[in-house]
This record gives sequence, structure tokens and C-alpha cells, in this order.
Amino acid sequence: MHFLKRQKGCKSMVVRTKLLSDFKDMKKILRDPILLTTIIFVIIILLTFIIYPLYSVLNESFVENGRFTTSSYIRIFSNRDFQNTLKNTLILGVVVGVLSTAIGFIFAYANVYLDTGLAKLFDIVSILPIVSPPFVLGLSAILLFGQQGIITKRLLGIQNANIYGFKGLVMVQVMTFFPVAYLVLKGLLLNMDPALEEASRNMGASTSKTFLKVTLPLMTPGIANAFLLVFIEAVADFANPMLIGGNYSTLATQIYLQAIGNYDMQGGSTIAVILLSLSILLFVVEKYLVEKRSYITVTGKSSRKRELITDHRIVLPIKFICLGVTIFVISFYILVPIGGLFKTWGVNFSLTLNHFKYVFNIGLKPFTDTIFLSAVATPITGILSMIIAFLIQRKKFIGRSFVEFASLLAMAVPGTVLGIGYILAYNTKPLLLTGTAAIIIIAFIMRSLPVGVRSGVAALAQIDPSIEEAAQDLGANTFQVFTSITLPLIRPAFFSGLVYSFVRSMTAVSAVIFLISARHNLLTTQIMAQADAGRFGVACAYSTILIFIVYAAVYIMNFALTKMQVGQQEII
Amino acid sequence: MRKFKFLSLVLVAILCMTIFAGCSSSEPKSEPAPEPAEKAEEPKKDLSLTIYAGLMEDHAQAAAKEFEKETGVKTSVVRMSGGEILTRIEAEKENTKASVWYGGPADTFIAAKEKGLLEAYVSPNAAKIPEQFKDPEGYWTGIYKGYLGFVCNGKLLKEKNIEIPKTWEDLLNPALKGQIVVANPASSGTAYTLIATLVQLWDEDRAMDYLKKLDEQIRQYPKTGSAPAQMAGMGEAMVGICFMHDGIKYYEEGYTDIVLSAPEEGTGYEIGAVGIIKNAPDLEAAKIFVDWALTKEAQELGQQYGSYQFLTNPDANPPKQAEQLKDTKLIDYDMEFAGKNRARLVEKWHEVTNK
Repeated sequence: MHFLKRQKGCKSMVVRTKLLSDFKDMKKILRDPILLTTIIFVIIILLTFIIYPLYSVLNESFVENGRFTTSSYIRIFSNRDFQNTLKNTLILGVVVGVLSTAIGFIFAYANVYLDTGLAKLFDIVSILPIVSPPFVLGLSAILLFGQQGIITKRLLGIQNANIYGFKGLVMVQVMTFFPVAYLVLKGLLLNMDPALEEASRNMGASTSKTFLKVTLPLMTPGIANAFLLVFIEAVADFANPMLIGGNYSTLATQIYLQAIGNYDMQGGSTIAVILLSLSILLFVVEKYLVEKRSYITVTGKSSRKRELITDHRIVLPIKFICLGVTIFVISFYILVPIGGLFKTWGVNFSLTLNHFKYVFNIGLKPFTDTIFLSAVATPITGILSMIIAFLIQRKKFIGRSFVEFASLLAMAVPGTVLGIGYILAYNTKPLLLTGTAAIIIIAFIMRSLPVGVRSGVAALAQIDPSIEEAAQDLGANTFQVFTSITLPLIRPAFFSGLVYSFVRSMTAVSAVIFLISARHNLLTTQIMAQADAGRFGVACAYSTILIFIVYAAVYIMNFALTKMQVGQQEII
Repeated sequence: MRKFKFLSLVLVAILCMTIFAGCSSSEPKSEPAPEPAEKAEEPKKDLSLTIYAGLMEDHAQAAAKEFEKETGVKTSVVRMSGGEILTRIEAEKENTKASVWYGGPADTFIAAKEKGLLEAYVSPNAAKIPEQFKDPEGYWTGIYKGYLGFVCNGKLLKEKNIEIPKTWEDLLNPALKGQIVVANPASSGTAYTLIATLVQLWDEDRAMDYLKKLDEQIRQYPKTGSAPAQMAGMGEAMVGICFMHDGIKYYEEGYTDIVLSAPEEGTGYEIGAVGIIKNAPDLEAAKIFVDWALTKEAQELGQQYGSYQFLTNPDANPPKQAEQLKDTKLIDYDMEFAGKNRARLVEKWHEVTNK
């Protein structure tokens, strides 16, 4: 009895001290005007551009003829088609999540730890799938593995091969999303201090033991993050299931088909809300299971460069796996420029330059418009996501979990839903944005924000806050701490965020279809329209040029990054 | 030095953000302002018009250019699918952006009319258009029509020694098992046209019985209506059930194995329409456009840009590629019936096919 009482007392003490420290934290923030303004600014941005449009969608699902009703939910849940779809979606998310994270990890490990001599190649290959509009992968899959597929029919002689359905979808989605896992994990591995592993090796552990006991446990939060990201993206993916899903339907396509194909906006919104709840649930689970454990590996500037592993027993099998995936990915993408040169893709294989001529006859406006809008969105996304990551990871304030949650929400929303939310929300005063460039740019920013924030948070989680605290103690204000300590430390995450955001904006389709106006002509909608008209050659020609532009941009950004690192070493 | 670089970067970013945050209130204010000024009783030359087009990109752009040349109305066009346009104008109804909806299946127009999203306008040029291709109250007027039929891959059928299907019953030929493709009626208006056609051709029980048997033959149910034509063209399937002008389109793009065939018992059709969006910002220009869209010249424009449907204006010449289809036997397709029974028939289809 006595013991129990004491425990109870203890608990209330804990609660009280927690409240007290919360209060103290808030007081600290109130004394810091820069921080306070930033927090308020971020919260307003998230409320306006993520929560409000999603609220519009939620509202749409619950309101019929001006009255509140749940009839739409009852109708949807009792639909057998929907139950199957829900099951399909979950299975797909898990399978694609596991496979993509595994491949992404192997690639990241090979690039950061191993001396394969092919790091450049792997780097290029692992960005390839995200720099191309999604339908390209689907079409290549059909050409390679379909009934008339180059591999299935010509090479293997299989009759009636069927690529449509679960297997084809998994294949294409893994290829589309493993780079996401790769980018997250690579940023983390780059930030890991080699000293820890060296210590383990010095104490006599083998490479594999070091990997299992040191590297892998340190990476667990990162791996969980990567899995979560891929799962949510796979579940929200629209273009691939649409093209190659066959009879296998997923919630994201169902939303579109219900709202657009069946003219049932309410039903579509209802499914959207269900999908959203699913992603939110996952997000919460991940928070409780994974983020309780935190690891700090960077306690200052890491002493020196990592010594790459050269042991053949380790390098060769991993190299082999990476090469296999590389060949697979390349065989898909090689069809894009080649497809632009063939007269009729799949039927008449004589060579022609007509498709490229056609593209240039239409004019450069789609190119300049797309590049301009993406280029405006990219730096804003980069900085904003790092600021948010900094706030989430380093500062305690009321509304912190809201900021974290809201900034990641946009990822869980299928583009179509976000697009519908945006017109519903911004078509009336005071926020009359439809038809402007601003609405497209904002959609770009909000769509790529989550990945930037996540990689920023993951990178910061590995950096000991004592460095920042030291700066603070020496009299630096929050702005100075952020710009001169935090941002330089998480630079790899910052830059991968920039690259990702640019690429994603350049290739976005589903979110912008409702936002485009006659004034802005986007490349991806142009590509979709051409594919729709059966001109796959022209679509391929467009995609080829798009991939080149994006690659050029990625290259320039990488170049800038290395330049800056050199600069840093010179100064210190 | 480096510190300054980052500092300035952050400053620029914050500046950018405040600017676009500012935009959100200032841009819209400045934007709609010039439009009403332009509209006020000025000569035709100063009219402007925004169109949502459910046609193919090239066709839509060419039509806008041609219209602008002939009338001097400054015209811009945004292309989307019919369903997307319907969704968009509904979301935009508080603040209508476009004035004309040009092209796309009439059933989306009927749905829009029921939701009160369209403006009635009986064009003087509509007098020529036959009754069954227009709305009696003028909410929409037909501009083209497409016939449902079989888009076959002639080469594949020949290889397997199968006759080209000529009737609905021919599709049940065991040799075609797993080689027929039709879109999913839950998502595709084209596929729903198939159900509605069969129900009107026979009766509901017989149609459902047939669809159940047909289900055994189906390779897959893709999500969009023109996908079966594409799959047949690429040799992914032997027969696609869809609108035959899609077959012509892919044939003209180089998929030369395509052979078209229409069921002898009779088949259904779709109507593509034009209409004015409710609260159109440029009503005057919109009316001029609808008048223009119904003329022989405007309707004949499509065939240069890959639209091979038949035309609703009796004076207009159909595309010569569609010549082979002109004797297709059509049923008396009732749009009204099809629209009203859509949810019920699709549900029934789900039941009998267990899909």
C-alpha cells in the first residue's frame, strides 16, 4: 500500500516537473524574438497550405446538401470493392516498403562504406527513377515484360505473359521508390562518425560483427524512417497503379476513379480521408516504436574520412546485387531515349528524328515554364524544410508536435486529393489563388516538404546538440546558431532535400492537373497528353529532354556542394 | 565568408516567402480587376475567353488558334479529361475561371447540368443538329459522335487463325479466352456505354447474363476507356472493346495491325458536346464560341489532329479514315436512361462478375 502510494506521488511529481519545464521552455522562447517569429510563421504557413485544404476535403466527405452526414462512410465501408482495395493497398505498401528499403540500404551502404569503384554509377542509377515522370517506367515494363515484351516473348519465348497486376506493380513501384530510401539512408551514413566503427574493429570485432552490432543498430531509426516514407509514398502513388495495376486496385486510384470517373466527389473525399487516416496511424506507430531510441554519433567534426572496406568477400556480393539492380534500372530507362527515336514504339522499329522535331516545333514554353516554377519552389522548400527540422528536433515549444505532424502530412496525401483540396480552399476570398503561378509553386513546395523535413530531422538526430548549445552559451542568437552551426552540419541532408524537391517539382503530375491554367504550360501535363493521344514517341522525346534537364540541375547542385566542402576545409 | 553565403541564402529565402505570402493577398486583387473593364461594351476584338477542353491537346490548341483568327477573341485553352473538367468546374463554382467546356462525353455534361453547373444557350447554329445529339434546353450541344465497337489486332488473330469478331456473340468464342480487354465500368464511361448498350439492345437479364460469360474471356479491366485500343494496337490483347475512333487514332499513329469491326446486332455511341459554364466570366465570347464550334468548318478541324469521330453537323464531312464505319448499325441509344441507371447497372455488373 505504502509503496503504491509513493509511486503515485512520484508520478504526479513527474507530471508537475514536466509542466514546469514546458513552462520554462516557453518562457525561454518568448525571450527569443527571432525564434518566436519563426515558429509563428511556420505554424501559419502549415495551417494555411496543408491543414486548410485538407480540412476542405474532410468537409466535403461529411457534408451533403449543407448538412452533416456519415452516410458516405457507411456506403463506402459496406462496399466489397472497397474492402478488397483496402487490403490490396496495405499488402502493396508493406511489400514495396520492405523491398525498397532493403535495396536502398544496400545501395547507400555500397556507396558510403565500400570501395566498389562504381560509386558514381550507382549514384546516377539510384537517382534515375525519380527524375522521370512515372508513366515512363510503367510503359517500359509493358514493353519489356508484356505479352509482346522484348524479354518475355523475344528472349524467353513466353506466350501470354501478363505484367498487369500485383507483381508488375511491385516491380515498378520498388524501382520508383527505392531511391527515396537511398537518399534518406545515404545522408545518414555520410553523417555517421567512422570512429565508432573503427573502435569496434580495433577491439577485435569482424567487419560483419561491427556491421550487425554497431552500424545497423545506429541505423535503425533511419531504416524505419525510410520504410515509412516508402510505404506512404507507395500507398499514395497514383500513376503506376493506374497504368500497370490491371485489376489490382489501390486506394489512391480509387479516390481518383470515384471522384473523377464516377463524378462522386463525396465518395472520393471519403476514401481520401480513409487513406489519410491510415497514413496518420502509421506515422503515430512509427513515432512511438522507433523514435524512443535516439542515437547521437556526431559529437563534433568527425576526425577524418572513412576508410573504405576493400575485403572481396564483402564487396563482391554487394557489388553483384547493386550491379544487378543497376542493369535492371538501366534497361528500363534506355528505352526512353530509344523510344523517342523509333517510329512507332512496339510496332515499327525504324529510326526517326521526327518526334524530337515535333517537340521543338511546339516550342520551348513548356520547358521554360516548368523550370521557372520548379526553380522558384526549390530553395524555398530547402530552407523551409531545414528550419522546420531544426524546430522539431532542437526546440521545445507548444505546437511542436503539430508542426512535425503537419509538415509530414502532405506526403500522405495523394496528389489528386491535394489538388482538389487546393481548388476547394483557394477559390474564394481572402485566399484567391486559383489560376496564379503562386498556387502551383505552393503545391510544389508542400509536396516535397515532407521528404526534406524527414531527412533534416534524421540528420539532426545524429548530431549532438551540445555544439549548438556551446554556440548559444557564447552569445550567438538562434538565427546565428541555425545558419552557422546547424545548417552547415546537416548540409548533405539540406542538399539532397534541394535536389529531391527540384526533381519532384519537375516531374509532378497528379497534384497540378487541377491547378494548371492556360498561362502556364507544364512539361508533365504535355507528356501525359501526348501519351494519351497515342504518341509515345513524342512522349518519350519529351521525357528524354526532361531527364537531361533534371540531371544537369542535379549535377550543378552536386558540383556546388563539393565546392563548398573544399571551401570549408580551407577555412578551418 | 561562408557564413555570409548561408546568411544571405536564408535572407533571400525568407524574403521570397514573405513575397509569396504577400502575393496571396495582393495578386488576386490586381488580377480580376482588368477583366470587367475589358468586357464593358467594347468591340469584339477585345473579348477574351478561357476554355476547358476535353479534346486532345493538339486539336484543342488548333481550335483555339483558328477561333481567335476568325473572330479576334483572345482565346486560351486548358486540356483535361471530361471527368476532371466536371470536378474542376464544380470546385470552382464560387469563382468561375473558364467560360466554355469544349469536348468530352455528353454524360459528363448531363451530370454537370444536374448539379447546376451549366448555362443554357440555344445557338442559332444548333437548329441543324439532329434532336438526339443535343440537350432540348440548350445546356449542351453535340459536336461529334463515336461508335462503340471492336478494335482488333489483325496480325495476332491471323496467327492464331481466329476470325475477326463480327457480332457480340463472337466475343464468346473460346479461342478468345483471356484475349479481350474492356475498361472497368466503375471508372470508365466508355465501358459503361457497353453495359448500357447491351441493356438497351436486349434486356437487362440477358445483358447481365452475357456480361457474366464475357467476364471469362477478359484479360483485364484497365481504368481508362481508350486503353483497350492501345493494348490491341501493341499486341497486348487481341480484341479491345471501346470507341472505334480510338482505334483509328492508334492506327494513324503507326499501330498498323489494328482492324476495326462493329457488331452486326447494333451498337451504342457517345456524343461529344460543347456547353457554357454557369457564371461564365466571358459570356458573350462563350456564345460566339459555341456558335462557331457547331459550324461545318470547326467540326472538320478535328480530323487533321487525330480526332476521327463522326460529326453532328449534317453538312460536315466525316474523316475519311472513318469511312469504313459509316454503315455501322446503331441502336436507339437513350442518354437519359443511361445516365439515370448508371449507379444501379454498375453495381449489378459488380455482382454478376464478382469484380
